[in-house]
Amino acid sequence: MTALGVPARAAQAGASSAGHLVVTGTSKRFGAAVVLEDLSLQVAKGEFVSLLGPSGCGKTTLLRCIAGLLRPDAGRITVAGQDITALPAHRRNVGVVFQNYALFPHLTVAENIGFGLRAQGVGRTEAAPRVAEALALVRMAEHADKPVTALSGGQQQRVAVARALVVRPSLLLLDEPFSALDRKLRETMQVELKHLLREVGITAIFVTHDQEEALVVSDRIAVMNAGRIEQLADPATLYGRPVSLYVLDFVGQSTRLAGRVTATQDGMVTVETALGPVRAPGRYAPGSRVAVAVRPEAVTLGEGPAGANRISARVSEISFLGSRTQLHLDLPAEGQDRGVVELPRLPEGVQPGSRVTLAFREADTMAFPA
Amino acid sequence: MALLALPGVAFLSVVFLLPLLLLLWSSIRGEGGFTVQGYVRVLGDAYYIGVIGNSLQLGLITTAGAFILGYPAAFALARARGYAQVVLFALVFLPLTVSIIVKSFGWGIVLRRDGILNWLMLNLGLIERPVRMIFTEGALYAGMINVFLPFMVLPVYSVVRMIDPRYGDAAATLGASPWYRFTRVTLPLTLPGVVAGASLVFSLAVAAYVTPSLLMGDRYMTMSMVMAKAFLNLRDWQLGGAMAAVLLAVAAAVVVGASLMQRRLARHGGGA
Repeated sequence: MTALGVPARAAQAGASSAGHLVVTGTSKRFGAAVVLEDLSLQVAKGEFVSLLGPSGCGKTTLLRCIAGLLRPDAGRITVAGQDITALPAHRRNVGVVFQNYALFPHLTVAENIGFGLRAQGVGRTEAAPRVAEALALVRMAEHADKPVTALSGGQQQRVAVARALVVRPSLLLLDEPFSALDRKLRETMQVELKHLLREVGITAIFVTHDQEEALVVSDRIAVMNAGRIEQLADPATLYGRPVSLYVLDFVGQSTRLAGRVTATQDGMVTVETALGPVRAPGRYAPGSRVAVAVRPEAVTLGEGPAGANRISARVSEISFLGSRTQLHLDLPAEGQDRGVVELPRLPEGVQPGSRVTLAFREADTMAFPA
Repeated sequence: MALLALPGVAFLSVVFLLPLLLLLWSSIRGEGGFTVQGYVRVLGDAYYIGVIGNSLQLGLITTAGAFILGYPAAFALARARGYAQVVLFALVFLPLTVSIIVKSFGWGIVLRRDGILNWLMLNLGLIERPVRMIFTEGALYAGMINVFLPFMVLPVYSVVRMIDPRYGDAAATLGASPWYRFTRVTLPLTLPGVVAGASLVFSLAVAAYVTPSLLMGDRYMTMSMVMAKAFLNLRDWQLGGAMAAVLLAVAAAVVVGASLMQRRLARHGGGA
């Protein structure tokens, strides 16, 4: 472990691996608007968790509460077993990488990185080697004396990360850290930053509205909706077994059809949809309204294996995405039905307007209350 | 781009530069031609040195007072939202629309022996006999700060408005106490506004004429008051011209010094 690693005292504090950060029953309202509602969250030591949701879901408010920049109305926040709920931001030792980085424009790169050490009373002679080490860690040593305004977006992000890590925080919060970067750079930096933080061994919480970014950087993702966590799970579970239509729609794409349960048997339901009957695992009473869904890559063209669900639809659009090809299906305009299918290769003869038969396994089909 | 400044430069040349040159010419013209007699009189006489001292002291105290009151006010103005901001704006800038003469007379009404402030303090039992306030230096400083406060608030406000509040948040999460945040982040970032406001207030206050004459009278002479006396009463163009040149030199030094400081700040910030 490098010298920037998690401080020994945090490890000794005896935080169980289950809860390095524990948020319990936290609520926050602004006027009449409830932004966080009785929210609880546990993050293990060294874990990367993303708070994922659209703007207004409360993810940034939760981050600011953990950082101490906002005081929750109710609830408790502990880090490494220590209750920090009442501590002001500057006594929490929780690092933050801000959206757009908030680097101090009147200081050089090295002065920015040294700021936290100097603020905490570390002497110049002791601070200098730690700043140099942090500069080397993010490969910015040759830019030490530049003003931060002369840096590119990617370089600014590296300085912001180094500035937050050099004071050895017990936890690092990152607020939309990639949103200021262009797409190509974003993908590189996501992998680079994940690798860097893993090496340092820090516990990190990312706030993002970008599901792809969350899938890349996180061990677990908390999908947030209206001030609550809708589902907290690892990326594969979140994608393969979403608990609600909200999570299904927010993470990845899907073909989704509304319908009514016509039969139920042995934990399987048959749902009558606009494109015919579809069978899916689930326990719903006959007559109840549900939506069935299947992920794009679980669908094949043609008859498929025996016992598979089959639907027939017209292709409205074809998008070539390089490694795969996406078919958009023409569905009745009313309702929230949509059809997206992804194929490794586009079969000959399929074009916009073609009528195709699609097959998908019952086990890959999901049913949600509508 | 330089051409765009031409109309302004031409206008200022006629109405400002030309009279100024004539004024400076009058300060070095004597009986037998060229003389430095005017400057010897101004800079060699303890009385006039005292007058220059008065003006500089008045300028410095007014600037310091305007900074102490105006700096937090500029923050309140920049951070306020909605109606609160409108009301604060009105409070700061309405006084500017009131003539300086009216304002200075207003101070007289409030501060004189049978004025509002004495009446209030007598009735509240704070004092037994009316206190002499008008024609005191304290009243002069209060009046001057009142008159020139907006010239400090406005430049600081325009700088504060541009500062991302997240700089303060970032400093806090790095372990900086509120005081450390103020001295190492907020103050350095707002320094350009402070320099602009201070040089504005100082050069206005050091040349002030109306407020000191109305609040202090002849017992407290400033450079502008000496100039007015020299030109209007004594018809002593040599004395008035020389005093004007000294005032100009002081004001120019402040403006040049401030813009050099601004450039330095712009190039490498306030330092850590």
